Amino acid sequence: MTTITLRVRNAPGFRINADRLLPAALAALSADEIGYLVLPASNESCAVGDVFDVSRSDDETDPALVIEGDVHWLDRLGAKMTQGCIDVHGSAGDYTGFRMAGGMLRIDGDAGHFTGCQMKGGRLTLGGNAGDFTAGALPGDMEGMTGGTLTVHGNAGARLADRMRRGLVLVGGDAGECAASRLVAGTIGIAGKTGANLGYGMRRGTVLLAQAPERIPPTFTDGGRGFDVFWRLLTRSLATELAPFSGFRADTLPRRYAGDLAVDGRGEVLIVES
Amino acid sequence: MQINETLIDDTFAEAFPMKATRLIITAHTPVWAQHAAQSLTGFATSVIGCGCEAGIERVLTADETPDGRPGIAVLMFAVSTKELAKQVERRVGQCVLTCPTTAVFSGIDPATSRAPLSDNAPLGSGLRFFGDGWQISKMIGDTRYWRVPVMDGEFVCEESTVTVKAVGGGNLLFLARDTDSALHVAETAVAAMRRLPNVIMPFPGGVVRSGSKVGSKYAAAPASTNDAFCPTLTGLSRKSELDADVGCVLEIVIDGLTDADVGAAMTAGIAAAVELGRAAGVLRISAGNYGGKLGPYHFHLHQLAADVAGRRA
Repeated sequence: MTTITLRVRNAPGFRINADRLLPAALAALSADEIGYLVLPASNESCAVGDVFDVSRSDDETDPALVIEGDVHWLDRLGAKMTQGCIDVHGSAGDYTGFRMAGGMLRIDGDAGHFTGCQMKGGRLTLGGNAGDFTAGALPGDMEGMTGGTLTVHGNAGARLADRMRRGLVLVGGDAGECAASRLVAGTIGIAGKTGANLGYGMRRGTVLLAQAPERIPPTFTDGGRGFDVFWRLLTRSLATELAPFSGFRADTLPRRYAGDLAVDGRGEVLIVES
Repeated sequence: MQINETLIDDTFAEAFPMKATRLIITAHTPVWAQHAAQSLTGFATSVIGCGCEAGIERVLTADETPDGRPGIAVLMFAVSTKELAKQVERRVGQCVLTCPTTAVFSGIDPATSRAPLSDNAPLGSGLRFFGDGWQISKMIGDTRYWRVPVMDGEFVCEESTVTVKAVGGGNLLFLARDTDSALHVAETAVAAMRRLPNVIMPFPGGVVRSGSKVGSKYAAAPASTNDAFCPTLTGLSRKSELDADVGCVLEIVIDGLTDADVGAAMTAGIAAAVELGRAAGVLRISAGNYGGKLGPYHFHLHQLAADVAGRRA
């Protein structure tokens, strides 16, 4: 198929909506046509060629889009993507991977707020940090992330996985306050510290911690033992993910707390301390 | 055709389409996985009276199971997806859910299955209600599991099990000099067939003595004894196919995920039997059919035995 490379030429002084920069759609266009592609930018619009040098090469791989340079002003990158691969050698803006349903999105640096928001499938990997409401829901919406895998090697902001319903979120660093707030279901792993109000209003789902939080929320209770088989299945599924999750041992049960008892109370916080 | 002085009849086994699934049962120790598998596959010799035909396919090591514990692979066959689903739910509910430390998973990978896929059958989606509201659904990857609290911890099972269009009713008849030689050849053939994947021999020990024919003099009976192969009826039944040398006939019925699997198992059985040969009392090998009008799968013994003869030559 085709690899499209966009090299940052001029960073604009405004934010640009990258909704249309999807690898499969761009693969059907020539480099010139891509350069003339108009992108919404705040109340203005802007051509791809105004901010990027465009090149393309044909090879045997899936359609791919490579962005060379820091594009923290580029929002909604990979939004609603269903196939192909996007690589960003730099940082990306807000709503990265918004409602993404398939394919692969890799960001070497950071991404802004609402990263992986309402993501449905595929794999989104951040080498750096993620902003607030990562894997969460838009304000007023009932469901956050509903599928796929989101991996953040750095830290995540506040309200991580708010209203998330399904899928896997792994954070290699710290998470801000209210992580897993109003969680409906799904699995969230946090390797570092967690902020205040962990699991606030969490109904179901699994929060996996590699460090004990400063305090267990008062609306959580002892979650008992006997979940060996589930733990084996979970640790096996994490074996190829980032550390420390990949190193969790199937034969060492974590401490389990059940909650949030203020709501459904069928969620669980698993604390794996080495 | 004769191999090692054992006569192989110019006939064929007639087999039928069935629906099948593979379940993987795991447990804390191999013993408990075995208990659950034996219980689940008990009273499952024939669809006529048991609702399904089931058997243990093979023992699995911890490396081969989804949860890394020792396990057993069982195959279940029924005449329809609906009946198979009913039997799966009933048998897993009574025999696996109840068995200490066990978990159960779907054992057919749709991506690699050579058998055509059919509808999924519910597994945990019905059993979860035993949890009385305490059960937890968990998606790991693309697979949904149910975690049902029980007194030894949690019973974990997959939401549903993949079913395939399979083949049931492949068979071999061993006509032997006496009971000892008939049992010996049947046991030897079953042992050879059990080394192969994707097949089960659902009768006790893999062997059946009550081979049947369609119909009966009694209107209420859909099937009755196969008098053509009963040694006590050689002088009485006009249909008798036995000569005076034959003292005992035993049959092996084979269900497999594909017709190739059934054919491979029958070939292995024939090879094991002719290896014993006439010297061990194995006089003839035959097969049961209904004239070729009922079942779409025909396994011709001469074709299957040709490979065996070729290997021995």
